[in-house]
Amino acid sequence: MIHIVYMSRAVRPLSDEDLQALLGQCRDDNARRNVTGVLFYSHGHIAQLIEGEPEILEPLFDKISRDGRHSDVRKLVDKRIATRSFSEWSMAFHPLEPTGFEALEGFLLPHKLTAPPSTLTIADAMLVDLVRLAVFGPETMPAEHVESVHA
Amino acid sequence: MREEQLRDILHHMPAGVVTLQGPELRFGFVNEAMRAVLGDGVREGQSIAEPAGLVPADLLEVMQQVYQSDRPFVAKSYCIPQPAADGQPPRLRYFDIALEPVHEGGGPVSGLLLFAVDVTVQEEARQRAHELSIETRRLDTRLRVLTETVPQITFTINAEGKFEYVSPQWYYFTGQPPTTDLNAIWPLLIHPDDRLRVLYQADTARASGIGWNFEYRLRRHDGQYRWLLSRALPEFLAPDKPVFWHGALTEIHDQRELSEALRQGEAELRFLADSIPELIWTATSDGFIDYYNQFTGEYTGLTQEELGPTGWINLLEPSEQAGAARRWVQSIATGEPYESLCRMRRHDGHYRWHIIRARQLTDTRGPRWFGACTDVDDQHRLREVLQTQYDELARTNRDLDTFVYTASHDLKQPLLNLRGLFDELRRTATFHDPEDAKIQGMVDGALTQLDATLQELAATVQDQRGLTAPAEALDLRSVAEEVLLGLRAQVQDIGAAVELDFEAVPTLTYGRANLRSILHNLLSNALKFADAERTPLVRVQSQLTEAGRPVLRVEDNGLGMVLPDNSTAVFQPFTRQHPHIAGAGVGMYLVQRIVTSRGGHLDVASTVGEGTTFTIYWFD
Repeated sequence: MIHIVYMSRAVRPLSDEDLQALLGQCRDDNARRNVTGVLFYSHGHIAQLIEGEPEILEPLFDKISRDGRHSDVRKLVDKRIATRSFSEWSMAFHPLEPTGFEALEGFLLPHKLTAPPSTLTIADAMLVDLVRLAVFGPETMPAEHVESVHA
Repeated sequence: MREEQLRDILHHMPAGVVTLQGPELRFGFVNEAMRAVLGDGVREGQSIAEPAGLVPADLLEVMQQVYQSDRPFVAKSYCIPQPAADGQPPRLRYFDIALEPVHEGGGPVSGLLLFAVDVTVQEEARQRAHELSIETRRLDTRLRVLTETVPQITFTINAEGKFEYVSPQWYYFTGQPPTTDLNAIWPLLIHPDDRLRVLYQADTARASGIGWNFEYRLRRHDGQYRWLLSRALPEFLAPDKPVFWHGALTEIHDQRELSEALRQGEAELRFLADSIPELIWTATSDGFIDYYNQFTGEYTGLTQEELGPTGWINLLEPSEQAGAARRWVQSIATGEPYESLCRMRRHDGHYRWHIIRARQLTDTRGPRWFGACTDVDDQHRLREVLQTQYDELARTNRDLDTFVYTASHDLKQPLLNLRGLFDELRRTATFHDPEDAKIQGMVDGALTQLDATLQELAATVQDQRGLTAPAEALDLRSVAEEVLLGLRAQVQDIGAAVELDFEAVPTLTYGRANLRSILHNLLSNALKFADAERTPLVRVQSQLTEAGRPVLRVEDNGLGMVLPDNSTAVFQPFTRQHPHIAGAGVGMYLVQRIVTSRGGHLDVASTVGEGTTFTIYWFD
């Protein structure tokens, strides 16, 4: 089992419809291939953590990095992990029209994100915190949030 | 029959034919083409001049002159405006017109033969060509002005690699005369180190029919070699057959020097960072480490890849990881400097204390983080050892104080008992030997001294505790008088005179118990070591030093003493200057301790047989 974390920039801003389509499509694909994780999106900034078997994830990341919808793909981590930290694949972003989204499966509002799971190492949890900070900015980082993770 | 045929041919000829007869130039034969030109109003026998405007006046005049002079005339591209039809603008038509005098029967001129060939299309084409050539000249001028105005040197090279054109900037730059043989001189002006490469690259590009883009140094008029960027593109006349390369040379010397300096500066900084025996690293604005110096690798035994963008957290002592991670995320969110004291694992698994510091640099290249981990393990451990020792010493000191106090206190009762028993013995027992009385006196003296020593020991401990008492503004005179009241017996015993002078500095901010203790010790000393030869005089005076700090002088005319080289020895505990006079020898030690612990110092001057002066500098 490995996990991969990367950051990238969307080539053009994604609309609510784009994001909803992406959420639906990726959830189906990832559920079928047993890929779990989380994707952050805000104002063209993208960050994603995916976890799964290397023979699935490596070609998947290859495909992701060649996807024309984003560029500047920066892989931060690609390493072996003992256990899965996410039970499913979900997406967190700010829709322009939040009504209706909240009921959507696998959708999270950025400020409702929970702390990184404690199954992650502290270094990896910090990495998730940092990419989250990079995508959403400091406003959605509750001060006590980090504390509660590692306490 | 032949004439008929001839007439028919003439009639249908594509050129206009007309015969004009007599000096009036009356229309004779007019073929179809001519009718089309002159219009339908032409009738045989009518003079050509009659329908006004049918033929332009100048042509009419020429016709008459040809008739009179009997010399043929040809007019090329003569313009005859066609009448406007249905609101259309009049169209200009051009004709080559031949006028031939006709001699009927070999006599004099009897008429004119006129041929008109329509050359409008040719004429229009010629005019268009003319306009085009004017436009071309204009564009050419513009191009030349532009080429010669831009700072770049522009050039054209043909397929053989010979220069066809080079803009005047080349001559300005190189300082070569305009008569120079470009093809011979140019390669010689290229920097020797670049020459072969440039010639080869240009040659290769020409051979493959592609453009080029390379940099080289060219010698300027002042002999200095300057970096130029050479770019050229081929011009094709037929596909795959380039005949010219047009290009430009741009001076990029300064940019190149600058980027070279930047590269070098960066390399030097990196070298510097790699040479420092500290863990140095940089991070992106997002907080991901993108560079670790060489020493980091040596210390941790891990490569940059193994460490990764957040892997440094793994190096910390596990219990410190969470706190360090939290602070780092906090610093990235706020931009505040990062600092922490952590244990970092060395390649051999040993943890050493480090101070980790990072600061954000914000400039035109965007924010970045620069950090360093300084090994403070030795200092940290030393501090821990010192702290332990200090704690131990403080405790020992306290224990010692308690012990002394307890001991002096506990010894007091047995001493009282001893004195009581001894007095009782003296009262009840009878001593016959006169030596006995002497022994009695010595026992009595020893008991008195023991009592005094115990009291002073207890006082030492008490005063030690009083050292920490808060300071308050004290009236020196009232404190001194209070002390003297306690010493009244001694003063009266020896009939001493005590002068108090606190005019200059009437008050002092000090611990009350401390001040009393100091005055008590100094005054009782002065009284104790009085010289029986003269009336004891003790003078107590407060003064200000030149620096405006308060001092207290206690001067006596007593025995005086021989001061050791090191005057501080005077103030060591149990050092007694006058062994024949009773005392525990702790008095001056106490004064010294109090004064120095409150930031001052004690000074002494003495002459044997004259007296002693103690000066207390309250605050240094």
